[in-house]
Amino acid sequence: MRLSLEEEGWVVDEAGSGEQALDRFADATADLVLVDLMLPGMDGFECCRTLRRHAPVPIIMVTARNDTHDVVAGLEAGADDYVTKPFVPKELAARIRALLRRTRSDESEPSSIRFGEFELLPDEGVLRRSDGTEVHCTRTEFRLLCVLASSPNKVLSREALLERVWGYDYFGDSRLVDVHMRRLRTKVEDDPAMPTHLQTVRGMGYKLVP
Amino acid sequence: MATLAAAAFTLSVVMGALAYFTTRHFLLSERQSTALRQAYANAALLRSALAADSPNVSSTVTGLGTGPSSVTVLEDQGVWYSSTLGIGRATLPKSLTETVGKGNVAVQTTHALGDPRLFVGVPLSSVGASTYLVTDLSDIEQTLRVLLAALAAAAAITALLGAAVGAAASRRVLKPVTDVSTAAVAISQGELSTRLPVGTADPDLRGLTQSFNAMADRLEERITRDARFTSDVSHELRSPLTTLAASLDVLDAHRGELDARGQQALDLLTGDVHRFQRLVADLLEIARSDADVGALSLDEVDVTELVTNSVSGAVRLVDGATMPAIEIEPSAAHLRLLIDKRRFGRVMSNLIENGQIYAGGVTDIVVRRDDPAAGVIITLTDEGPGIDPADRTKVFDRFYRGGVSGRRGSTEGSGLGLAIVDEHVRRHGGTVTVEDGHDGHGTSFVVRLPLDPEAVSL
Repeated sequence: MRLSLEEEGWVVDEAGSGEQALDRFADATADLVLVDLMLPGMDGFECCRTLRRHAPVPIIMVTARNDTHDVVAGLEAGADDYVTKPFVPKELAARIRALLRRTRSDESEPSSIRFGEFELLPDEGVLRRSDGTEVHCTRTEFRLLCVLASSPNKVLSREALLERVWGYDYFGDSRLVDVHMRRLRTKVEDDPAMPTHLQTVRGMGYKLVP
Repeated sequence: MATLAAAAFTLSVVMGALAYFTTRHFLLSERQSTALRQAYANAALLRSALAADSPNVSSTVTGLGTGPSSVTVLEDQGVWYSSTLGIGRATLPKSLTETVGKGNVAVQTTHALGDPRLFVGVPLSSVGASTYLVTDLSDIEQTLRVLLAALAAAAAITALLGAAVGAAASRRVLKPVTDVSTAAVAISQGELSTRLPVGTADPDLRGLTQSFNAMADRLEERITRDARFTSDVSHELRSPLTTLAASLDVLDAHRGELDARGQQALDLLTGDVHRFQRLVADLLEIARSDADVGALSLDEVDVTELVTNSVSGAVRLVDGATMPAIEIEPSAAHLRLLIDKRRFGRVMSNLIENGQIYAGGVTDIVVRRDDPAAGVIITLTDEGPGIDPADRTKVFDRFYRGGVSGRRGSTEGSGLGLAIVDEHVRRHGGTVTVEDGHDGHGTSFVVRLPLDPEAVSL
């Protein structure tokens, strides 16, 4: 893996276990972290959650199988995306690039979008409540929110969201969208089970209602 | 059950018949002896009456008759007398009168004037006369008719009861057998976890249930172990293969540093490793289906989008493939169906790859609505050599490559492509078949899929 990634031009630092990884991360910040769920010692999900608590660093998790349980748990723990082992290095490279690109916002988006008691500032990468407090989001969550907010009241299909946020083609995994929507709802909605802004439209997709 | 009903019926018929005929015989013979006694008594009376000097025959005869049911007829030297109007010489059976005429007593039962009657004839030879007693048997006939009806009804009821009891009894007896056979069928259709409930009250059946369940346990274990083995092996093979492929990619990036022979070797190696990878991926896919791992992950999608995206994705993946003409008929234009997109993508890419390897490429794809079933029909047609009708089901067998030899090259498939197509389509409750292409040549693969796989029961 290191070989292929370095071939792409990135600098790679390895850690053999979850604890080691957290230590290393504290010393030298990374632009992106790849977490193998089958880590010895600390549980991969736990590592993910801890990393997520400290920094909004992009995380891609590496799973052994495509089982829904692993994928969803990993995404809920804070991962932005996942690849399954053994993976095609070019695919992993594409995922990494897509994730790193997510910092730059779309030109066509307005500089400030309001919904409910929130203000979304795509250029600054900030989501603020009316009382001024900031809501921390991962890059991916933010991007997803921006895409939905730039077409308020318009339903966007899972495929469209996968493409615009993650860069996947038609065959992307819709679970990525579903879990990230759940994560956003816990951050933004008063009652995540009965969302007022981030709504599901059955059979079609999601929409943002300001 | 039928035999029991038949036996019950036969038994009650036999019993009924026995009762009937016994009663009939008894009644008739009783009547007969009574009639004979009466006739003899009459004969004695008439003999003495006729022997008298100036007998008043007709009043004597009339006095002997007790009404239409018991009539006395007298023949005195050719003159006939009767105690009742309407019954006389003409009523008597000829054979009777002949016998009596010869001087013998005769008894005969026959119908006369619409009723069954008993005739007793006694010759009075000493006075040259003969007398007859005619008794009406209608009352006996009536009695017997009622008896017959009653017995028939009894026979019918007994038969029905017998059938009902038989049915209930046999159902009870057969139930465990039926349960076992239903469970066996369920297991053979893939529901490996089917077991018989252990709580039967009948101790005899408990043994059967337990051994059946034990057998099912071992069978399930064996099957899942086998499937897991293939899956585990394939999975284990993927890791080193991926490392191989990744390293080869790196090497390929440094091609320039190799000489011509080195580059050639690299290309060969890369080709083989990729083929090996595909074979292992296919094996893994089929093994996972076998183990029933990985349930369908269904999304609701628009048919047009699904087919267009899957086909363009497939064309990108398959070497040498070009985009076929896709026609979505109006009947299917805005259909939405529940489908596992990844599996469907695989189905399309395998069919397109198959078309590319064996038939020069899929030329057109037609999508239309399946009317009687609620579903969609996707037909992929090529203009290749066609598939022999004898092979049309075999092509979906694993590792079946048909009799076409001499086909080499890096585009050769793994032999599992169509088997995977068949597997995925069937998982959705659909079917895939082979038909003739346009105008009878080439091949068409017809994929039928229901709009909702969960509505289709296996």
